[in-house]
Amino acid sequence: MATQTFAKGTHPSADDPHVLVEDDYAFYEPIPPYPPRTEREAEFYTLGDGEMFLNMGPQHPSTHGVLRVVLKLDGERVVDIDPVLGYLHRGVEKLVENADYHQTISQVDPLEYISSLFCEWAPVTAYEKLLDVEVPRRAEYIRVLSGELNRISSHALFMGWFALDLGGLTPILWSFIERDEIVEMLAALTGQRMLFNYFRIGGVNGDLNHEFLSRLGDWMSRAVGQVEANTKLLNENEIFVRRASGLGVVDQETAIRLCMTGANLRATGIPFDLRRTHPYSIYPELEFDIPTRSEGDSLARYLLRMEEVKQSLRIIDQCLDKMPDGPIMAKLPRLLRPRPGRAWAAVEGPRGVYGAYAISDGTDQPFRLKIHDPSFIHLQAVGALLPGNLLADTMAIMASLDPVMGGVDK
Amino acid sequence: MTALARTWDHLTLPGKALFILIPLLALLTTGLIVVIALFGKQILDILIFNLPIVRFVFAATVLLLLAPPIAFVIIYMEMKIIALMNLRIGPDRVGPWGTLLSTIHGLKVLMKEDFTPTRADPVVFTWAPVVVFATMALSVLVIPFAPGLFAQDFNLALLYFFAIGGLTVVGLLMGGWASFNKYSLLGGLRSAAQIVSYEIPLTLSVVGLVILAGTMSLNHIVQQQGVYVDATGSHGSGWFLDWYVFRQPLAFLIFAIAATAEANRTPFDLTEADSEIVAGFATEYSGMRFGFFFFAEYIGVFIISALTTVLFLGGWNAPFPFPRISWLVDPGSLGIGLLFVVALVPLLGTLLLAAPFYLFRSQTRWWVALIIGFVLFNVVAAGLFGLWAYINFDWVAGLFWFLGKTFTLVFVFVWMRGTLPRVRIDQLMGFAWKWLLPASLLNLFVTALGVLVADALRGGPA
Repeated sequence: MATQTFAKGTHPSADDPHVLVEDDYAFYEPIPPYPPRTEREAEFYTLGDGEMFLNMGPQHPSTHGVLRVVLKLDGERVVDIDPVLGYLHRGVEKLVENADYHQTISQVDPLEYISSLFCEWAPVTAYEKLLDVEVPRRAEYIRVLSGELNRISSHALFMGWFALDLGGLTPILWSFIERDEIVEMLAALTGQRMLFNYFRIGGVNGDLNHEFLSRLGDWMSRAVGQVEANTKLLNENEIFVRRASGLGVVDQETAIRLCMTGANLRATGIPFDLRRTHPYSIYPELEFDIPTRSEGDSLARYLLRMEEVKQSLRIIDQCLDKMPDGPIMAKLPRLLRPRPGRAWAAVEGPRGVYGAYAISDGTDQPFRLKIHDPSFIHLQAVGALLPGNLLADTMAIMASLDPVMGGVDK
Repeated sequence: MTALARTWDHLTLPGKALFILIPLLALLTTGLIVVIALFGKQILDILIFNLPIVRFVFAATVLLLLAPPIAFVIIYMEMKIIALMNLRIGPDRVGPWGTLLSTIHGLKVLMKEDFTPTRADPVVFTWAPVVVFATMALSVLVIPFAPGLFAQDFNLALLYFFAIGGLTVVGLLMGGWASFNKYSLLGGLRSAAQIVSYEIPLTLSVVGLVILAGTMSLNHIVQQQGVYVDATGSHGSGWFLDWYVFRQPLAFLIFAIAATAEANRTPFDLTEADSEIVAGFATEYSGMRFGFFFFAEYIGVFIISALTTVLFLGGWNAPFPFPRISWLVDPGSLGIGLLFVVALVPLLGTLLLAAPFYLFRSQTRWWVALIIGFVLFNVVAAGLFGLWAYINFDWVAGLFWFLGKTFTLVFVFVWMRGTLPRVRIDQLMGFAWKWLLPASLLNLFVTALGVLVADALRGGPA
């Protein structure tokens, strides 16, 4: 439908006496400048008694990127929300269709700039399925090793963000120390701090090097203590625990209906982790637990992620122990032309299941690459979680779901 | 004329300022000298006749002028201490250890654009920061800094303090309402709800103390926590056990918590919760109007700490009885050796302190050693002078202890900001009405009962 612009104060919803106070006040309300396109929109943009709109974002200090949420408030209590997405839309899925298979890796990389390796991992695995390539074992070990490091750095950032949205200043700076060390060692391995562009179809780009290993060994010797110190700052804080517990509770049924995955799902008590339920790479050979909690609230999601950090440390230890010798790339031609067909691959990232559905038409460019991003799925939950909560908790609930807007808007 | 214009163009900004200021100052000084020469006697007579008023105006001016520097010090403290707690370095560029950064910030907000948003109410919008700053600064007037060092001492000082402190909320509401921004409005309403709720336990918690003290004059309350003499004889041991914090521990706890909320500090800084409502009532403010809000917040921290010190931590009293050397030695008898002191001691002291650096370290040049000796001598001299002033002047000792205690409390405020997350608005309200208010009533009841029982045991009211 074509966008139809209206003169000031002539929007249909402006007939509502609660919205249009006088002359151009409605101009300052976050009402879309076109007539309501759906019944839901018409209903949302009509104010009840004592309600008001509050436009949050896309420049709000804590919407984690450029999310915009129009809140309908009754006092400080949220009645209804209308998320407005697309401020970070770059058309990655379309760009990928015009790049050859190797080039797509750098296109999907910045989708989720906090845990880029998992964004690469899923499409790369899908291409490998299309091509029937056997990935060398050393490459798989390196993938798991770097992936788990990335998972820890992502969770460290989550912890800082979550505390910051609840008003704590210090945790984000403490957790950034940890994150910075990991990011630096990944830079030594891959050449980049955040957008790694490291995984290749059939292997990885570079072998383990001395700087990476020395940094890793150095950090591993104090990682457990560092993680403990960071979490102690919050776990034993009465105000934090009281704020976070019972906040944004998701029960098992809702979580499954909303297609939640990752820590958000496991916090409700369902032990679903792709690394165990649909094993890929070398995860079947490694020993680690899938922590779950039963509460399903923000505190459970936070504690679960901190528990996952410890499991990731275990995995890294085992990877270093068992690291085999050998090539890091499968033998492949320069120009890839997979057989026509379709492949689905998914990996368990720090936020949930990262999936890629690749369709090949036999040329050197993918016909279609559908990216399944957990942030987008989890952001849908805010519609169910936010109404009824106070304004102060909207950001905390959103933070506890841990969405990244790059992945949501693609 | 062109030469003058060219000179003017080539001057730097401070140069231009001095170019204007020096003739102006010369003119003013000359005028002042003339006026004093002609009417000096009459002016002096008028001043002496109105001594209490003159004293009040002088003290009030000094205290109001002191407000921005106090805010600067606390802002710097906060930046540096939170930086250290965050494992950062913090300010370290402007001045030694970055100490001048907050001053530079103060100058910066003066130079910034003073912006009023469309549809804002310009009059209310302009006056809101003034109201907030003025109320905060006015509260300083009744705080006794040291014996004899206060602007005004009257019998309702405590009531005055709470009354004026409660006016802050008017300014915050004005700012929140006039900004034409919903975040500001929410911040203003939150501050109104918060300050009104916490005013009640804050005031009730000190009623027990007022019963014990029998006065609301802050000066008398401080005196009662040290050694003092009245009609019934000499009281107090001089030790810190006389402080009201040991007689009213529950009241101290309630007061400290409610005061944190009153000063809008973490964990009760809901009015400017940056992760929720951007910057609360200050969202639309810029330039010096924002600066007023900012200063007011830190002066608020100072006065709340100062009041806690005065009421519960003994104010200017030292925590232990200190033998007065001035009672043993007459300072006047030291005047004999004054010439000797002025002429020889700096020279000898510098040489003495420089000698080890020159003699025992072969790499040090003689002039470097002399400079080191001179600096060291100044440090030692300043220390000795401070000690001498501490011993001889009550107000120096009083100021030392008062500021020491107050800034310790300020540090605690900053510490809490670095450590604690923010509470939610319903938790905040619930805490005030369900816990603090009953606790302060209980404290009042127990105190009143205790006073009654003690009087009955002594046989009739004192």
